[in-house]
Amino acid sequence: MAANDKIRRSWLIVPMSTPERITSAHQAGPDVIVLDLVEFVAESDKPAAREKVAESLSSAKAGGAEVFVQIEPALMLADLRAAIWPGISGVVVSRAESADQITQIEATITVLEGERGLLPGSVEMVASLETAPGNHGGFEIATASPRIWGLTLGRADLIMDLRPEPSGEIHLMQYLMQRLVTIAAAAGKTPIGAWWRHPDRGLLATPDNTLAAARRGRAIGFKGSFCVLENQVGPLNEGFTPTYAEVDSARSIQQAYTHATDSGTIAAVSHDGRILTADIARQYAKVAALSEAIASQEMFKDAAVSGRPVPVPWEVA
Amino acid sequence: MAEHPRRLKRSGLTMPIVTERFINNAWHRGCDFINMDLEDSVPPNLKDVARDLVRQSIPVVNKGGADAVCRINHDLMEADLNAAVWPGLMMVNYPKAEHAHEIRRMDEIITRLEAERGIRPGTIEIGANIETAVGVANAYEIVSASSRIRDFGGASGYDMSRDLGVEMFVGFDQFVYGKGEVELTARALGVEPHAAPFTPNLTGSVSDPDRAFSEADAARKCGFRIGGGLHPNVVEPQNRGFMPTDDEVADAHWVLEQYRRLSHYSDTWFQTEDSSGQSRVIDRYEAARAEELLQWRALCEERDLEKSEAITRVRAAEEST
Repeated sequence: MAANDKIRRSWLIVPMSTPERITSAHQAGPDVIVLDLVEFVAESDKPAAREKVAESLSSAKAGGAEVFVQIEPALMLADLRAAIWPGISGVVVSRAESADQITQIEATITVLEGERGLLPGSVEMVASLETAPGNHGGFEIATASPRIWGLTLGRADLIMDLRPEPSGEIHLMQYLMQRLVTIAAAAGKTPIGAWWRHPDRGLLATPDNTLAAARRGRAIGFKGSFCVLENQVGPLNEGFTPTYAEVDSARSIQQAYTHATDSGTIAAVSHDGRILTADIARQYAKVAALSEAIASQEMFKDAAVSGRPVPVPWEVA
Repeated sequence: MAEHPRRLKRSGLTMPIVTERFINNAWHRGCDFINMDLEDSVPPNLKDVARDLVRQSIPVVNKGGADAVCRINHDLMEADLNAAVWPGLMMVNYPKAEHAHEIRRMDEIITRLEAERGIRPGTIEIGANIETAVGVANAYEIVSASSRIRDFGGASGYDMSRDLGVEMFVGFDQFVYGKGEVELTARALGVEPHAAPFTPNLTGSVSDPDRAFSEADAARKCGFRIGGGLHPNVVEPQNRGFMPTDDEVADAHWVLEQYRRLSHYSDTWFQTEDSSGQSRVIDRYEAARAEELLQWRALCEERDLEKSEAITRVRAAEEST
């Protein structure tokens, strides 16, 4: 069963070469802000970008978003020293390619947590499988550390040079997405991504296309997605949130099932032409619970933006 | 092992080596390679005869500039290799590859034959064709077994559909998993993926030039560079389909010109409009694709020139005798 404890629908990437964008980034309402040291920072800007992470944390969190820092294995030591500070939720490991890399990153994080006063084991990891070796070794990567919370394909379409097919699908992506979702479930991790189609590329898309990609992505198991533009945040939040109609229907199905099985003499019932069992009813219960968890998360973010004191979201419900 | 020059494989004809008129006429078709078949198109009673023909057929098929390839039999590998590995051969196609030990054995035999027959070590490529479920399951070990495997693909086609017991000609992709596995394997091990986007094929025609063009064009735009077929009708459409157009070349130059502007920005990408008013992202990935397109076009032109000059030379020599 996949981890599904935290609401992380939209992951807005902000390059640390332009930290001034954080102010408008948190106003867009992302669940997570990803301070990037890798993909959108020119090589020559990286030393200066690393310096800015610590001082950017409070403004990144001002809108109630969690903060992750995107690092890469090749520059692991410098990136992690720049990233691991009280207040961050985790790191995104760009271009993750092997379990060994994850083990090394895990060890370095553990040292830095101790030195800098973070709770031991509190820093999570999302492994971004953006290369062919990374995808091939996905399961070993996913199970290499208990810190791994999620898996994503990141910008695999660009890094692996996967181009659009005549159908509009991005070549190999359907296979890679299903592989990732299956690996994540097998390892008990959360799959992060959206089902992008041409002309979407490298996590960039119009708001309409982002919404469609999020809805398709949710339908195949993704729980949230990375994005690059602020105007993609709303569509991702919407696309990964159950609709009112869905929640309504989920509640009525649950009630119908509870009512029909009240006698304790049957476990499978027919409802509107569909078969319902206890497991299926529980699945609908999760939709309703997800909707409630999202509502409390939104309250938390609204309060953060307006400067009101609020409890942390998982204590609201 | 020394680096070997990349051989282009946009178009190729597979033919029974025992059909003399096919072998004698293939050289002027303009294909990048000619695949002399010892396997499915040769009846069991002619396998010995077929083997004896390979050595003398190599200079016949490659006199027009095409590379000579030989498809051997899975179950007659040693005898077939002994008959096929001669100077002038570029590659041995090994059908129904299923286990790494088969490839290691092939590599040993080819290495010995190269030494005995004066072929530069490592010249002969192995085409390990995945055509069964067992081959899909062992793909990673198979490719890891020899550096002679320089491109890799499969998990579709007649033998695969037979092995899985599924229909060959349907309007959807029945091989998504197997094809995905072998392509990811190729990419993970750094060999060129031999793949193509799915296009529905309900007729099974092997001689339709329009279909050959559209498939080659789609494969090229997806980044793939390898074709091949059974009928002379498909050779020219494949060569054309795999060649970037003049418009694409102009566009690639435009992308690279735009990319140079990026040095003025602190960002790693920007959006701009091209001459047709389309919004385009410019970044290092677009620049890399543009550079690859220009290099590929140059390689295609060079290869086409090489072949047309060879064909002209042969014709001139034939006329003078």
